[in-house]
Parts: sequence; C-alpha cells; structure tokens
Amino acid sequence: MAGVRLESVFKAYGDVQVVHGIDLQVHEQEFVVLVGPSGCGKSTTLRMIAGLEEITDGELFIDNRLMNRVAPKDRDVAMVFQNYALYPHLNVADNIAFGLRIRRTPKADIEKSVTDVAAILGLTEYLDRRPADLSGGQRQRVAMGRAIVRHPKVFLFDEPLSNLDAKLRTQMRAEIKRLHKRLGATSVYVTHDQVEAMTLADRIVVMNDGIIAQVGTPMELFRNPADTFVAGFIGSPPMNQLKGNVSATEAGYQVKVDEAVFTLPDNVPVETGQPVVVGVRPEHLALQSDAASSEVPISLDLVETLGSEALLHATLGEQPLIIKADTHGDLSHLSDITRVYAPTSLLKVFDAETGRALEERSAS
Amino acid sequence: MTAESRKKPAVPAAKRKRSLKVRLQWLADHVRNEWQIYLMLLPTIIWFLVFLYKPMYGLQIAFKDYSIFRGVAASPWIGLEHFETLFSNDQFLRAVSNTIKISALNLLFGFPAPIILALMFNEILHATYKRTAQTIVYLPHFISSVIIAGIVITAFSPSVGIVNTILGWFGIDSIYFLTKPEWFRPIFVGTGIWQEAGFGSIVFLAAIAGVNPSLYESAVVDGASRWQMMWRITLPSILPTIIIMLIIRIGNIMEVSFELIILLYQPATYSTADVVNTFVYRQGLQSGQYDFAAAAGLFNAVVAFVLVMVANTLSRRYSRTSLW
Repeated sequence: MAGVRLESVFKAYGDVQVVHGIDLQVHEQEFVVLVGPSGCGKSTTLRMIAGLEEITDGELFIDNRLMNRVAPKDRDVAMVFQNYALYPHLNVADNIAFGLRIRRTPKADIEKSVTDVAAILGLTEYLDRRPADLSGGQRQRVAMGRAIVRHPKVFLFDEPLSNLDAKLRTQMRAEIKRLHKRLGATSVYVTHDQVEAMTLADRIVVMNDGIIAQVGTPMELFRNPADTFVAGFIGSPPMNQLKGNVSATEAGYQVKVDEAVFTLPDNVPVETGQPVVVGVRPEHLALQSDAASSEVPISLDLVETLGSEALLHATLGEQPLIIKADTHGDLSHLSDITRVYAPTSLLKVFDAETGRALEERSAS
Repeated sequence: MTAESRKKPAVPAAKRKRSLKVRLQWLADHVRNEWQIYLMLLPTIIWFLVFLYKPMYGLQIAFKDYSIFRGVAASPWIGLEHFETLFSNDQFLRAVSNTIKISALNLLFGFPAPIILALMFNEILHATYKRTAQTIVYLPHFISSVIIAGIVITAFSPSVGIVNTILGWFGIDSIYFLTKPEWFRPIFVGTGIWQEAGFGSIVFLAAIAGVNPSLYESAVVDGASRWQMMWRITLPSILPTIIIMLIIRIGNIMEVSFELIILLYQPATYSTADVVNTFVYRQGLQSGQYDFAAAAGLFNAVVAFVLVMVANTLSRRYSRTSLW
C-alpha cells in the first residue's frame, strides 16, 4: 500500500479554473473522503489522481513517486465508478477478470483471484450472470470486485453508492467499511453525501469552489467546523446559523438575535459591535433549561417526525431554526413548545463577513 | 397443450373482449390527447398504404392471364402457369443466381465496410480532421445514381479513364472494364461501398456514441490499449446494432440496387449483371408481360420475406437481439 500526496494541484478547462491549488496528504492505509456540493472539484481531483484528467499545475505523488506524466495503467490504482462501469456483454466473472486479462495474467491465477474475490464479496453464485441480471447492490459489488482483484496500491471511489436506494446504500456503506478494514487499502472516496463521509472516513476533506475548506476527522469537523460552509455541510440537519451583533455585558460577550440573547463562550476573540454568526447544532438545542444556557424564544412552524426523534422547524424572528428533539414515543409535548435552550459551551461563533470560525483562545 | 398454456390459466372470453374494449378505448383517448403526434405519423402511413399496400392488390395478376383492357379483376385465373414458365426460363434462373452472387459479395464486403469506417472515425481524436473525413465519405451518398454511374463509366473508360491511365503507367494495356462480364460485379460492389459505406457508418457511429464513457475510463485505469478497447468494449457494445442492421440487410438481399445496374450494365455483361429486378423491368415494362413480371417480383418478395424471418429467428435465438 502507498500514500497519495497532492501539492498545489490546479485544474483548469481552458479559462475556467475548477481546482485552485490543493494540498493534501493521504496516508498509507487511510480512508479519506472528499465531500462537497456538486461542482466543488472533488470528482475532478479524484480523476486527476486516477490519471483520467491531466493536472494543469502542481504535483501528484503516489507512493512518493511523481505521477503527473504517468499513464493511468502505470499508477497502480483501481477506480470504482458511480454507474458501476460494468461491461454489459460480459458475465460477472469476466467483468472481474477484465483488468487481469488485459495485463495478461496467467489463466490459473485469474481463476483463483476471481474465485477469491467473489467469495469475499458474496458473488460466487452470480459469476455466470450478466450485469443486466443483477440488482444495483450486486452490480456495485462486482464493480468493487473488479477493483480489488488487481490488488492496487490505491483505491479510488467516485460516488459509488449514489445510484442505490437509501436502504441499500446503508448496507453497502457498511460493506465498504468492512472491506477497508479487511484489506487495509489506501482509499480516496468521493461523495456529496455527508452521512457517507461521516460514517466511512478516517479523515474528511470538505471541498467548496475548488478549494479545500477543511480537513479533519469526522468528529473534528462536526465539533469545530472551520467556517459557516463546513458547519452547514457536515451534520444532518445542518448547524443553525443565526446572525447578530456582539455586545459586551458584565456576564461576558453576548449576541442578541431578535428576542434571544446568546451568551458566548469565554475567550472567543470578538469585539463589541462585531457582526457574527452564532452556530448551534439542532441536536444541541435543549427543551429544558440548563444553568449555562441561553434561552431562545421560538415560533414553531412544523414538526417532522423521524420516529424516536423529531425535527422542529421554527423561526427566531425572521431567521429559520431547526431543533432535533427526542420524542420518547410521543409528540404531544413538542407541539406547544415556545422556547428552547442553547448551551453556551456548545455554541460556535463565526465572523459574519468572512464566515471563518472565531476560535476560542486557550486560557493562559 | 403447450407449455405456455399450461402455465397461464385460461382467460374467460368475456374478459378478453373487455380487455380489447379497454385497449381500444385507451387508443381512442391516446389519439385524442396526442393528435399532433398521430398527425405527424400520417404521411408515412399514407405512403405505406399508397405505395406498398395498395399495389398488393395487383399482385394477383401473377396468377392471371392479365390484359390491360380487361383489367385486374376481369382477367382469367391461370394458377401457377407464370411460375412454371419462370422456373423454366434460363434468363430468370440466371438473374436469380446473379442476384444471390452480387448480394453475397455486397454482404461480405459492403456490410463490414461502414462498421470498420465507424470504428476508424471513433479513433480519430482531432475534431476538425474527423469532421472533414466524415463529410468526404458521406458525400457520395447524396449524389444521384445517374451521376455516380457517369463517374464510374468515365473512371473506367478505356480512353480517358483514370483507372486505365494508371494501368498505362505500369505498361498494362487498356481494359474496357464495363464490357467485361468478369469485371462487372467487383466494379458494382466497389461502387456501392464507395457510395454508401460512409453514410451507413452514421448508424454505427450513433451506436458507438451511446456506449457509456465510463466503460472506457474504467478500461484505461485497468490498463487497456485503444486497440483492446475497440475489440473488447466498442465492438461488443455495438453488436446489437450490427445484428439489427444485418437482419435488415438480409431482408434486402434480393433488392440489388436496380438503378445502378440499369445504368451500368449492357447486353455484353448480362451474364453477370442481370438481376431479378432488371429482369422484371425488362419483361414487365419493356416487353409488356406484366403478369409474368409480377410473378417474378412476387417470387423475389417471398424469398426476401423468408430470409428476414429466418435471420430474425436465428438472431433472437442465439444473440438475444431481434427486430421483433
């Protein structure tokens, strides 16, 4: 296995620049997920690693070897595509064996490898079937089998679960996770689904407009988003973002948003009058008062039931607010809520102009 | 009892009738709602009715002693007499043999030509060069057969033709190609390829354009060369189109390009050039034996029908691709 390193990588199509100088290190055996909205450059970055797109500027290293001018076949990577890219005229066994046949691997070795991979992926009984006769999940497994069978240095996944229904996606997510644990392969995985990113990744790379917005473990990104974009992208439902101005009181810095007054955590570097965005996750808004929390009067619009939990869609003045609350099997206590409580220690504060997080200064 | 009827419980007659009524109702509603689409379909339906279905009425003269003055209906029935005469006519048998030989050559060389062209176009990466090459090979299709025949006659002319001029450079005496029976078929088939291969490649190019690009990307990552991708991805992917086109081609096997043969052949080359269609034309229009010519034409159509049925059945059985 090998690591992947991108140094100031740019990609432009004519005058249109889509990736603006990315620096990223994917460590050996690490599972890194590139996540971001459509058009953020994540798939282009993956395709540059695969060699399917030329790198306009910057350097790409796989296993510490410069790869910019190396043909895709010589990079020793395998890629799993969104639409599976299975050859419709070949059966499962021949699809899995395709890459090995191209490389003129001895027949006996091909047979053994295909049998082994089919056993790992639970495809043994489907080896004679054609892709058209398989379900979406089985097709995706064949696509993964085709990648695994070559024992590449790096696995690249381009939104492999996007075409599956929600239930199958959850199943396949777990299978990919298990497979990665078993093979220990360096993997770069692209998705626009933050749930996939959170569940699969050792580290997540959030991309936006061709740049990396933040890199970190799923929990780092969840707890400490670097800016309002990451705060809005990671977490489901996303973090509530409420605009207001800072005022100084005896109790410390506060932000008034309509009728709510949020007391900010100590040591947040803000100034009186500074316009900020207060971030609070829907699951952190409590229905019960707490000693160190700010009261938030709300106007409830809608209750969405998820079973054990409910999403309360409300407004604070003009600004929308979502609260995630436990139902305890009963919705009656949620329908007449008029106020919730935001714990001070869990509030995030962002600069309203730049969107960057205002990090707490460590107490000296 | 067939396996099919054992599997399915019998549908009561009343239910069958009802379902037909429902279907007719559905059709009526569909026509009412989508009348613009049906209006666009109308010219084609009229064309089929006027030029293909109405003439079928006249086919009966193949079994009659037809006279223009008595008309189709009043002419007396004579059974298979025309067919008996036909099969004892050496010229007709020669025409059938020539039709099959020319069609076989056409199938052998003319059918793969557009596929090969399409594969070659697909490999051209330079867009301008590709467009120019495509335009050049499509062009002959749009030229009238009369002009094509004129070009061929001029090209193979013993005095000013380019072919004989080139042969002259190598010290070979001029050959009057178009009067030599042995040269007719190669010239005819070659001309057909030159005229139609380019245009015929459009269907295959469209099929190639429909191949999922990620199949190629996946193959590139797997290490496939362009040659391997052509053989292992492109060709198998367009195989259903190739089979459909082959079935259509087999259905037209008895329909050798009548105009071009009429324009290129002469009594000296009848022995290799005269096909069923030209035979029908000579007998029917030039000699006025309409009933006899109708019998020859009907024979042609029946053979074509049988061929297309057989090709379709074989294709459905062995390749899971068929016209119907």
